[in-house]
Amino acid sequence: MSTPALELRGVTKRFPGVVALDDVSLTVRPHEVIGLIGENGAGKSTLLKILSGVYQPDEGELLVRGQARRFTGPRDAARAGVGIVHQEQSLVGSVSVAENLVLGFEGPAVRGGIYRWPELNRRAQAQLDKIGSPIPPTARVEALTFAQRQMVEVAKALSVEDHLDGPAGTEPVIVFDEPTSVLDNDDTEVLFAQIERLRARASVVIVSHRLDEVLRVSDRVYVLKDGRCVAERDPADVDVQELYRLMVGRESTGSYYREDAQGDVDGAEEVLGVTGLTRAGGFTDVSLSVRRGEVLGVAGVVGSGREDLARALFGAEPVDAGEMRLAGKPVRFRSPAGAVRAGIGYIPAERRFEGVAMGLSVADNILLADRSPVSAGPFVDPRRRRELVARWIERLRIRTPGPATDVATLSGGNQQKVALAKWLVSPRLRVLVLDHPTRGLDVGAKEDVYRLVRELCERGLAIVLLADTLEETIALSHRVVVMRDGRVTARFDAPPGAKPTQVELVEQMV
Amino acid sequence: MSAAGPGTATVAERRPALAPTPLARRVIDAGPVLALVALIVVFSLVSDRFLTVGNAGSIADQAAILLVLAVGATFVILLGSIDLSVEGVMATSSLVAVLLAANDRNGNDLGYLAVLGGVGVGALFGLVNGILHTRLRIPSFMVTLGTGAIGIGIATVLFGGQPPRMLDEGLRLWGTDRVLGVSRLALLALAVLLLGYFVQHYTRVGRTILLVGGDEQIARLAGLPAARYKVWAFVLAGSAAGLAGVLAATRLGVGDVQIGSGQLFATITAVVVGGTLLSGGRGGVLQTLVGALLISVLANGLILAGVDPAIQRSVQGVVIVVAIAATVWTQRRRTRVVK
Amino acid sequence: MTSVSFLRRDDVRERVVAAVPAAVLVALVLAVASREPSFLGAASVRALLEGAAPLLLLALGQTFVILIGGIDLSVAVLASLGTVLLASWLPSAGVLAVLATLAATTLAGALSGAVSAYAQVPSFVVTLGAMGLWSGVALTVSGASTISITEGYDTIFWIRDLRVAGLPIAAVLAVAAVLVAAGLMAALAGGRLLHAVGRAERAALMSGARTPRLRVLAFAVSGLCAGLAAVVLAASQFSGAPTLADSLLLPAIAAVVVGGTAITGGVGGPLRTLVGALLIAVLRVGMSVMGVDPSYEQIVYGAVIVSAVALTLNRGTVGIVK
Repeated sequence: MSTPALELRGVTKRFPGVVALDDVSLTVRPHEVIGLIGENGAGKSTLLKILSGVYQPDEGELLVRGQARRFTGPRDAARAGVGIVHQEQSLVGSVSVAENLVLGFEGPAVRGGIYRWPELNRRAQAQLDKIGSPIPPTARVEALTFAQRQMVEVAKALSVEDHLDGPAGTEPVIVFDEPTSVLDNDDTEVLFAQIERLRARASVVIVSHRLDEVLRVSDRVYVLKDGRCVAERDPADVDVQELYRLMVGRESTGSYYREDAQGDVDGAEEVLGVTGLTRAGGFTDVSLSVRRGEVLGVAGVVGSGREDLARALFGAEPVDAGEMRLAGKPVRFRSPAGAVRAGIGYIPAERRFEGVAMGLSVADNILLADRSPVSAGPFVDPRRRRELVARWIERLRIRTPGPATDVATLSGGNQQKVALAKWLVSPRLRVLVLDHPTRGLDVGAKEDVYRLVRELCERGLAIVLLADTLEETIALSHRVVVMRDGRVTARFDAPPGAKPTQVELVEQMV
Repeated sequence: MSAAGPGTATVAERRPALAPTPLARRVIDAGPVLALVALIVVFSLVSDRFLTVGNAGSIADQAAILLVLAVGATFVILLGSIDLSVEGVMATSSLVAVLLAANDRNGNDLGYLAVLGGVGVGALFGLVNGILHTRLRIPSFMVTLGTGAIGIGIATVLFGGQPPRMLDEGLRLWGTDRVLGVSRLALLALAVLLLGYFVQHYTRVGRTILLVGGDEQIARLAGLPAARYKVWAFVLAGSAAGLAGVLAATRLGVGDVQIGSGQLFATITAVVVGGTLLSGGRGGVLQTLVGALLISVLANGLILAGVDPAIQRSVQGVVIVVAIAATVWTQRRRTRVVK
Repeated sequence: MTSVSFLRRDDVRERVVAAVPAAVLVALVLAVASREPSFLGAASVRALLEGAAPLLLLALGQTFVILIGGIDLSVAVLASLGTVLLASWLPSAGVLAVLATLAATTLAGALSGAVSAYAQVPSFVVTLGAMGLWSGVALTVSGASTISITEGYDTIFWIRDLRVAGLPIAAVLAVAAVLVAAGLMAALAGGRLLHAVGRAERAALMSGARTPRLRVLAFAVSGLCAGLAAVVLAASQFSGAPTLADSLLLPAIAAVVVGGTAITGGVGGPLRTLVGALLIAVLRVGMSVMGVDPSYEQIVYGAVIVSAVALTLNRGTVGIVK
């Protein structure tokens, strides 16, 4: 057998508080198409960043055509023949397609600092010809459609074969990051035809969560879970369900999520309800209802519209149509401020930018949303402020040197507790929207969050949960709604002992 | 966004930017030109002295120095940065040029080298601006606010209480002489415009400035030394301001601390109204030509219409804000943070 | 274990940055006094404070804007406009003229804040535009000339002539304004919100802070302070003029950043600005005592601003600097 085009051996990458990749090994052979799947947070994006040289592994080896390499950056990775087709796209809109294609590798097209456009465009045209694209190299990228840009990305990734620092004819590895997540069906077919053609001159890795597509185009599939590579399968031997089972893995353990503590909400009154809620480009005709003490899980893949929905419930995104009710009364929020005053709290996915105010103390953060419990008229009562902050630090077991400590210095889990405390101090809090509340947290911190969710239900809060994993969604929720392409596709009751299975949900998600 | 941790983009950032429909795009692009045409039509109706050959010449005259300044400033604004030191640089360069050329203050008589001196001083200011901005990571508006004051200060020191007069007749001709009914100044400004276009379109400096302004992160990941090209942009802007100071001196015959008074507004307004985005990455010197003409036609027309010159300042102030607000209006979001 | 090891490096840095301006102020005063002993005399101190009052007021207003991460380039021009308005209204309106002037500058400030907040335009652009707008208005209203206050001067003469414990009332009131502002920020329940907006606006917004309103408030206060400065200036000059206060923009910004309020927002406050304004005032007097040509003043301000910003800049929170 020939030398693998690309090989990872025991690659490990740690971030403060999390092991993002744990001893991952995989092999890509020449002319092979490899599928790489995993849930959000499984380590896919970290792996991609290691392949593109943005991160360096803490342990383990990266071998390209049998040689150990340590990439110092994307340019370095490109020189070694690893090209990435980015999901977020790495094209600069302000300049032409041609300039993007030769970016960093202009060669003789730029001499003495002067651009020779005919040569530059010719080189770019050659790249575009490789994928048979009709896009003119002189077009400005910002004038292209998203699918066209994707094609330019492919051509750009392929351009690595011209700058390879190996002998002539050395073949590159092209990595696609979620290539179809924003393409419609026709464009997806074009892309897959493209990948088939690529196979003749390169090895391909496709990172995706669309399992049916991965199964269709891949020769082999690797499954990532919790930063580990848990399975390697031949598409002929597995189906979508099997892959999903591998991806979400562990049998749900009720005690981990404290399912026994899931309260009974039958007959409890509705706290938050929406009917026909619509946001152009986000979600369409969504109706749902959350009762006192209830956790409503919202499941869906990236692009399902659930993140937009969560932000709209909190007033952070406008809605175009539909109604919202809070405790039976119609409400309409023009800003998060309105939602907060009405008693809605929100734990954002982006903790570092939106969850806690970095640079402010723990105490200031805890009192960021509602200061009425420590106010005397317009003034703050220092004694009550001190006591309240101390009480919540203790209740949530926030590990901090003191209330005056900059929240930026705390661990992710403790920051998240501060963000939760900020809402919990408020006596008017009725609804809590949790957007990926356990993202980036270690196991212990996650368990603390689960415990808190149960306690909050007991306190009578209504909770809307967008969890990182299906497992979390199912275990924590009283009911689950599933969204796909902006619409609710299914609703499940999830009482303790009779929870829906992940496969049941998945069927509605993809 | 930091690349330090396994963070994710916000919902807003993750959603792909939809390319605007070609028609809407074209209307937006044509806006400044349409506005220029509209202004010309309106003013020709208001005043019969407006649409005359003589007046066209004086508009070109008025636009000349502004165009030189604005072409330079375009490069800085293409980065998404700003250069507020224009007036200070003009003041210093005008005095340096006058004091190096034949003048009534000292025995110098360097002729055209004096022009070089003035431009060189401007380039030096630009270099300092760029280096302070990139090395110390100070926002550009702050750096250039400070260096602009320093420029005024240096000019005040050189000024010494009384404006030195430029006695070099050859140089004075540049500010006053006309060729085929067009002032030399306007022709020179046109040359600067062409040079600016060449830099923007055909040189690595120009292309990289456009790239860095479009997306600095990607430019850096592609291995481009973004900081170096940012410095270049400030040097271009500084040199242009230096040249503008010299030209103003040849026109007025003196070097003066106040020689650039009011030019900062006009410059930024011209660039932005022409269609170069203040956030960087879109626009260019040709757009700036339209912007400079717009500002000059507006100024000229208002005077012919009998409007108090003081009000022009107000009008420019409002125009600058409205133009920028209009270009960013569609990017407004509830959770967007703009300082 | 020493007590220092309890502190993080940032805390230490923070404290040093906070203490440095005061130390520099003391050193500067001592330096000037050693050269010119009469500098610490009553007459000289009085003159210093009198001259510093408008600067301190402008800097105080600017402090709030910088604290939220913005900048107000229009304060000085607004103060000039204020003197013109006051001088034109005093003869007919008396005390009402003062109130109307304050209301006008406050509204003008609020307008800048509103445009910046609701149209989401960077504050330096908005206030640059406002600078042009209001200076044009001042020139037009005044006919581009100085308006002497003759009739109605008795309404505001006390601002110039009254003494409290031998100190000029304007300076005493300006310092009082600083103390009140600092006190309110410490005592009000929402007193830390400006810092929160400056440090982490998205987080503040997503915690229900009405950040656009806070922005308008900061700019309105800046406008109010410009109006107060205008009243003090008009009283001391017996007149209003369309460019009377224009040269105070740089010193005012310098006072804020030299005092230790970071241009990136979220760090600092009125008390630091008090120190910064005194520093600038002493520097100005000191330069003339030391025999420095006044022509160099602008150069010094420019250099002081750039270096103070460089020293206080909070580089941790900025990604790409534009």
